[in-house]
Amino acid sequence: MAFYEVYAHPALIRYKTSVCTKATLFLLVMLCLTYIPPLLVAYRSQGFWIKRGTYEEQPVVRFQYQTLLVAATSTAGDYVAWSTYPYFNNMLGSNLQIPAVSVREEDLNQDGKMDLLVLQLQLPLKPEQQVFGVQLLLTFNYQLFRMSTVVMQSMAYLQYSSPVPGAKLFVSGDLRLQQRTPLPHRGLYNAYNVSVIDGTSPFASAYDLDSIVRSYQKRNLTTVLSCPMPVWTVGQAAGSPFELNAEIRYPVELISYRPGFWETIKFAWIQYVSVLLIFIWVFERVQRFVFQNHVLTTIPVGPVGKAHLS
Amino acid sequence: MSAVSSLVPARFLTIIAHLVIVISIFWSRENNVKACLPLDYSQEQYDEQDGKLVVGLAVTLGLFGVELAGFFSGVSMFNCTQGLLSIGAHASASVALLFFLFEQWECDIYWWILSICSVLPAFVEIVLFIAVFGLKKKPL
Repeated sequence: MAFYEVYAHPALIRYKTSVCTKATLFLLVMLCLTYIPPLLVAYRSQGFWIKRGTYEEQPVVRFQYQTLLVAATSTAGDYVAWSTYPYFNNMLGSNLQIPAVSVREEDLNQDGKMDLLVLQLQLPLKPEQQVFGVQLLLTFNYQLFRMSTVVMQSMAYLQYSSPVPGAKLFVSGDLRLQQRTPLPHRGLYNAYNVSVIDGTSPFASAYDLDSIVRSYQKRNLTTVLSCPMPVWTVGQAAGSPFELNAEIRYPVELISYRPGFWETIKFAWIQYVSVLLIFIWVFERVQRFVFQNHVLTTIPVGPVGKAHLS
Repeated sequence: MSAVSSLVPARFLTIIAHLVIVISIFWSRENNVKACLPLDYSQEQYDEQDGKLVVGLAVTLGLFGVELAGFFSGVSMFNCTQGLLSIGAHASASVALLFFLFEQWECDIYWWILSICSVLPAFVEIVLFIAVFGLKKKPL
């Protein structure tokens, strides 16, 4: 009593023919129609070769403890300035006024990467001086490790001016990465590992803010301080110093890179094969119909090895 | 042959599908004509391209007439090779013209589709006509 199927396996029928027949021509046409249209479909529906990918990483940022400060003390163009570069301070002459600066970097989540820079600057003023505007330049050492290794020296430029003299400026912002071109996916990228201000130069042109910003903006990879809400407090008490408090965070960045060869090939292959499967199934059914129903003359060789002529 | 009972309706359906799409393109050919002209074009350029496309579509309809005459008169209805070729050509033409219409391809591509998918089956049809009526062979 055999009432259920316990096992089954397919028995193969081979259809043979010689080279110069209609069946060969049909096979060539079928092969072209099976393997070429999926490529066209995958390519024409956009996104076949991925050109740009993104990844997230928190950069390793360290403050380099080099700054340059310029404060405008009148609306007529008088200014005082200070920096950590001795040549610049020597060139200032009587415009040099040295502030009290306290800086610390904090690692808030204890992951080994600094997250926050807190800077407190107090600039003592002469009794007749008032501060109308501030320009502050801070330099950082910026490193990325996940894809390509990026080592560069970058800066944050902070500027605020007001028609009313102020007692305090509070700035809280993020140090954001600006990319003009995607990064490579591997290798060392240290083209910008040169200092933003050349501290060894005795010439005034090396400390000119115009030329510093101009040559910095020529770079394809820069950092910028993104601070949408600076707070300028007015009402300077006589004799008290001008206070500048800055909090600069180092957030997780979304970085775009150019994918490598294998990543590109992997995604292209996934797209091609998933469309190819459909075409293989369809044309397999067409070929089975044509050869099984003898639409074209071939010699079938059956599963028991006997040749049947149609 | 048992296959013929499936080939004949398949061939008829693909020819009619191709015919329907050609007639649809004939009535809505404005977008396709604009796709082969530059952004600022003159009315003469438009009329010239429009005329070319109308000629192409008319030639296609003529070739349809030849092939349907051969099919319905029985000259090639039971010929397996012509059946297979006709199904393949007209199915490819239907897909290609669908993209031509919806993706607004340029006019030059239409001449390629015409030559591969309309001229080839009509040419084989004419050869079969000559073989049956001229050389007095059996139509199978």
